[in-house]
Amino acid sequence: MKFINFINNLDKRWIYLILALCIIIPFLFPVGFPMKTTPPVKSIYDFIEDSIPEGGVVLIGADYDPSTMAELHPMAKVVAAHALSNNLRVLFVTLYPQGAGMAQDVIDNVLREWNKSNPDNPKELGKDITLLAYVPGVSAVVLKMGEDILQTFNEDGYGNKLSELEVMKGIKNYNNINLMVELAGSSVVLTWLIYANGRYGLKMGIGTTAVSAAEYYSYLQSKQAIGMLGGLKGAAEYEHLLDEKKVYGGRKDASIGMDAQSSAHIFFIILIILGNIAYFVKKRKEGK
Amino acid sequence: MAISTNFWIWIAALLTLAIYSFLYKDNPFYKFAEYLLVGISIGYGISIYWHNTIITKVYNPLVYDKNFLVLIPLLLGLLMFSRFFKNVSYLSRIPIAFVVGAGTGLSVPSSFEFLFKQIYATMPLKLDIGSLIIVVGVISTLVYFFFSLEHKGFVGKVSKVGITFIMVAFGAAFGYTIMARVSLFIGRIQFLLSDWLGIIK
Amino acid sequence: MLKRTLLLILFLILSISLFSENDSLIFLENQFPCEGFYITGRDIPNDGGSGIEINWSFPDSLDNCFLTVLRRDEFGNNSVVATDLLVSSKQVRDVSSDEEPSRVKDGIKYYYTGILSKKIIDENLLNILKEKSYLKNGTYIFNNDTFYVTSETDAVISKASWFNLSRIPVLISLIIIAFVFLYYLNLAKSGKELYIRKINGLDAVEEAVGRSTEMGKPIMYILGIGYVTDIPTIAGLTILSRVSKKVAEYETKILVPSYDPVVMTTAQEVVKEAFTEAGRPDLYNKNDIMYITQDQFGYAAGVDGMMMREKPGAVFLQGLFFAESLILAETGHSIGAIQISGTTETAQLPFFVAACDYTLIGEEMMAASVYLQKEPMMLSSIAAEDLLKVFIMLLIIAGFVISIFAFGFNIGLFKNLFDHLVNALQV
Repeated sequence: MKFINFINNLDKRWIYLILALCIIIPFLFPVGFPMKTTPPVKSIYDFIEDSIPEGGVVLIGADYDPSTMAELHPMAKVVAAHALSNNLRVLFVTLYPQGAGMAQDVIDNVLREWNKSNPDNPKELGKDITLLAYVPGVSAVVLKMGEDILQTFNEDGYGNKLSELEVMKGIKNYNNINLMVELAGSSVVLTWLIYANGRYGLKMGIGTTAVSAAEYYSYLQSKQAIGMLGGLKGAAEYEHLLDEKKVYGGRKDASIGMDAQSSAHIFFIILIILGNIAYFVKKRKEGK
Repeated sequence: MAISTNFWIWIAALLTLAIYSFLYKDNPFYKFAEYLLVGISIGYGISIYWHNTIITKVYNPLVYDKNFLVLIPLLLGLLMFSRFFKNVSYLSRIPIAFVVGAGTGLSVPSSFEFLFKQIYATMPLKLDIGSLIIVVGVISTLVYFFFSLEHKGFVGKVSKVGITFIMVAFGAAFGYTIMARVSLFIGRIQFLLSDWLGIIK
Repeated sequence: MLKRTLLLILFLILSISLFSENDSLIFLENQFPCEGFYITGRDIPNDGGSGIEINWSFPDSLDNCFLTVLRRDEFGNNSVVATDLLVSSKQVRDVSSDEEPSRVKDGIKYYYTGILSKKIIDENLLNILKEKSYLKNGTYIFNNDTFYVTSETDAVISKASWFNLSRIPVLISLIIIAFVFLYYLNLAKSGKELYIRKINGLDAVEEAVGRSTEMGKPIMYILGIGYVTDIPTIAGLTILSRVSKKVAEYETKILVPSYDPVVMTTAQEVVKEAFTEAGRPDLYNKNDIMYITQDQFGYAAGVDGMMMREKPGAVFLQGLFFAESLILAETGHSIGAIQISGTTETAQLPFFVAACDYTLIGEEMMAASVYLQKEPMMLSSIAAEDLLKVFIMLLIIAGFVISIFAFGFNIGLFKNLFDHLVNALQV
């Protein structure tokens, strides 16, 4: 009984502290929990790997900000690196002002890491990868891109005229884009699904935060999206798949965190069990 | 690797710690970091809007391309500010009417197409236990959100099944949410241990 | 000597000719393996005009080639539609664009030619091709690069469509729904009572207020962080009216900490009116409905602090909630209050379900406010929505039954039927 009272009256700060330790310790002493790739992740990977010819275009939507960066940033990096490794062209697009900073950081990072590990096949900004300038309007932007991408943006995110960039050669609208991977933790995913996929038939994959993952499963089932990366785990699975190809030496942000994620989950499961026992015992005692 | 010598990484790390200090208790460091965030995000937003809207969508077409049609949406946009003056505030309804009208026109057909796609997805394209569960889940959940009938007898039983499905979905969402929150924390810890302190690679 | 000079001259001529030939087109017969490659053009169906769609069919071997599409109009003007498209993209649309002066215009005849190359097309070549009035179908060489010119398409004329025929099912559904809604609206206005079921959480309102009064504790009503324009906030205000009426009847106190000044003013009006209706305007205290701050977590911290100090016996969380939902619900739970929550934010509902005694889930919250207000417009929209749900259910059940006959018993007739049904849904 003492124990039950202890649980019910536990100061929350103890839980915070233990949780912090659960996360920090695996970073210092990695265990390497086994990783299994799930079908929604694999189908995006396979699509980029097998279904897009060389020179094809992958559009990545960076519609997130620092608050969900921990989950979505690793996805952006790994998908972009994978596309580059297959000699595809990568375009970043964002419907939110803060997304531009995120995308630029990804581009810098991926280009630097790629050129470090593949000096014989260097990639260049403006030739292989770029960011389309941020233009306000959300759904209006998505719709206009279906007609003419160059006109929607005019410039890239670095102030260059899009029509002069090599990476934009032959790209007119969604017809010339082989796959879009939308990374967002908000309902902007729906905007892309409704307008770009629904109206223009753009092939789409979703990368989303774990919070929204459950919600977007239904769009996988309806085949509106070909696959989904859900949370840090989804990013880690993708890193795992790309790692088997051994072409990219960038840091595996998501995979490093997986041990910590697993140990935190174990801690939470224990808490939920203890909490429920305490709740039912207390309820029973009060009932008597 | 060693501790970072980059000034900005230090700033980022100290601000992260300031925010986390709230977990112990509310304090001035936390408040400072919070207000800083609010201020910066507004400032950043304004600068982006200035460059990407006012300059590229209004100033450039007007000054360089002499495209005077831009004046129409500009005028409509300016009318929004009439809300600040009581006697002409009704003028702001004109641009709102445009936005609402165009928005509804755009979204109604698209929403229907979206609904159709979801109904299509519920259709059992092959007969297996998975599609049966989906059909039962969708129908019973719809029955739960049925307000014109008392939840008694058969309808009551079906809606019970519906609420069970809803709760299972909530459970899954809850689990995912825990995972997401942990991921966010991991992202920060990774930053602190690797970019700032250089303890891990 | 002469022989040498002649040889030298011959050599010079040859080399000049070779050099100059390098920069001009050399026509070869069919050497590029392009059998089976041809392009077709047609007006884009169901569009607003000024658009032509160019499609091409190709054998798999040409998957990685590039295609450049040229356009010639009936007056003989040439222009480039698109360069270096991946052959695998199968289609390009020649649509009007504001920047291009030579855009597609309705009613003019256009002819399209495709140029297939293994490498990205040369800028000089493009200029040469633009000058030519007509290129014969076949293989050419330019600067040692081989490319293939398709035969020209037949004349294509673009036109605007009045209707997007592919959306007829949408139009039909829209008409049906509008009709159903208007029918119920008429019914409601003519005085017929439209039935709406009791919402479980609402029954608990009385219990919560009553118990709180017994304990001598106030009631707290949190409207979340929405604005008056948000539907859940409006629904929350309607439910507030009901709750405050009960509060007035029980002669207890209600606290409404607000996030938005406009919501606060509205809440004050709502509570005042409810107290007056209950015959106790004297109990109304304007200061109990106060403004906290318009900062999400600042608001959460403020409300939390107030909860810890005032220890309300019942807490209502009705409105729009985001990440602060659990912070509020958890504090309410820790002080042992009865909690009744409601929101449309699906991501927050699990937290409410876990931490509160009753939760109005999504549409239930709207229905609850309609139940309390019984306004014809809202009642009829609930009734129409319900009918629509029935329609969707029937459609799904029909699809399920048909698929049992089609796939389970393998009956061809049902397979056709199922295909028709599925096609109608794929707008």
